[in-house]
Amino acid sequence: MDDDIQDILNSVSAPSIPQRTRDLQALTRAWVNERTSPELLSYPTPLIERVMERTKKQIETIEDITGTLDPRSNFTLVILQTELERFKFIVRSYLRARIAKIDARPLHYRALSQSEPTTLLSPLEQQYLQSHQALLSSHYNSSFLATFPQSLQKLDDTSGGVSMVDKPDEETAVFCRALRDAGSVEVMGETATTDVELQRGDLWLLRWSAVKDAVVRGDVELV
Amino acid sequence: MALPLPPGLTASEVGFLCEMEFVTVIPRQRLDGLELLGGPTQPLKPPFPTPLPLWLALLLKKQKRANISPPPWLSVEGLSHILDFETDTRTAEVFSPSQALPPPMGTRRGYEDYLDAEIVDFSPPFLPKSSTTGAQAEALPYHWLEVGHLLLTHAADDFDDAEGVRRLLRDLREVRMSKLRKGFKVLDAGAGVKLNGVGAMEIAEVRGFVGGVVDGLRKINRSREESRKEREAEDRENGLGGGSYQEDDDDMQL
Repeated sequence: MDDDIQDILNSVSAPSIPQRTRDLQALTRAWVNERTSPELLSYPTPLIERVMERTKKQIETIEDITGTLDPRSNFTLVILQTELERFKFIVRSYLRARIAKIDARPLHYRALSQSEPTTLLSPLEQQYLQSHQALLSSHYNSSFLATFPQSLQKLDDTSGGVSMVDKPDEETAVFCRALRDAGSVEVMGETATTDVELQRGDLWLLRWSAVKDAVVRGDVELV
Repeated sequence: MALPLPPGLTASEVGFLCEMEFVTVIPRQRLDGLELLGGPTQPLKPPFPTPLPLWLALLLKKQKRANISPPPWLSVEGLSHILDFETDTRTAEVFSPSQALPPPMGTRRGYEDYLDAEIVDFSPPFLPKSSTTGAQAEALPYHWLEVGHLLLTHAADDFDDAEGVRRLLRDLREVRMSKLRKGFKVLDAGAGVKLNGVGAMEIAEVRGFVGGVVDGLRKINRSREESRKEREAEDRENGLGGGSYQEDDDDMQL
């Protein structure tokens, strides 16, 4: 009986959390995931658009309040600006972490974003990757590659069993937390493969390859 | 500009995250509710306790506009109880439990739901009741060390016995750190270690070491792992999955 009431209360109270608060949680999660995962994750376009739109409005609000020159609103202004800076920090750090990954493995992500039309990169990131890569390869060509034999000039040679395209190490160990019961994942032990059950609230040290799908589904977050 | 930091949150980033924890403030001045980017705040009316994010509470505290009432676990009684649990020989292997989670938000639907704000599940530091006065007294939240440190540094006069709390917090940290170090014996190339109850700052502290050990061992053992994988795949194809046959095989290899 008590459980029933609790369920009803939960279903009533859950939607009352404003979307802005939920977006802050989602943005923070996106940032932490991107900072800790060895691989680039897909770009949450609607989320970033909403956050940027609100940031722009908040800046306008702050400018309005500054214009009124009311001494009482000084402190409000300090709070609004502090919060704005915190948001800007998360967004900036998030985007910079993504650029760092793109810079580290440009050819890999270019191949990925070309082979399948995914939401992996934002249009701006796509543009950055293409033009940066074009600059780099023309620089390499003019400075030393042109003097090499024709067969050694490629930067993304995959023949001969060894690929020149560097891939992120998918087996890197990551710390993660299960947000929902996420089923079992495989753990490669030294002598045998075992399955472990991920239950809500559990904290684990696991290989990225084992939890990647669950992270993309939103069942697991990295910490 | 690309971020020059290696993967994994640094201590200062964890500190930044912990400032989003909610704490209970007792306002000394009126302040209207504010429309913040992270959601509206409740209006402050002295002397009614109000939950606010830690960064805002500290801002108010520094300007002497509010007092912060420490969460129940951050008290001499709460911490002594947790310390007893941590040092008890019967529970020597485990960490003290973390704060209870709120009920889940929604059910998952499919792949496109990653970060969907409609069903996003809340996790630390956004749990509504892990550092407010409504928190459990005998469980540590994920950001216990950072919240404790910040409150003791900036709001020491709001504690009944700040010195006692500080001492207990330091003891607790040492006990848990040595426990965590002992736990590293089980590390192997496969990872797969359960860390329930370990805090954010503790993870940040050991991340480099643990990650290095696990990844290093994996690289050393790569050939063995690959041959085992192949053998297992073969076994599955032949319908001989597991059993004594496989164990014999392992022995021979060693």
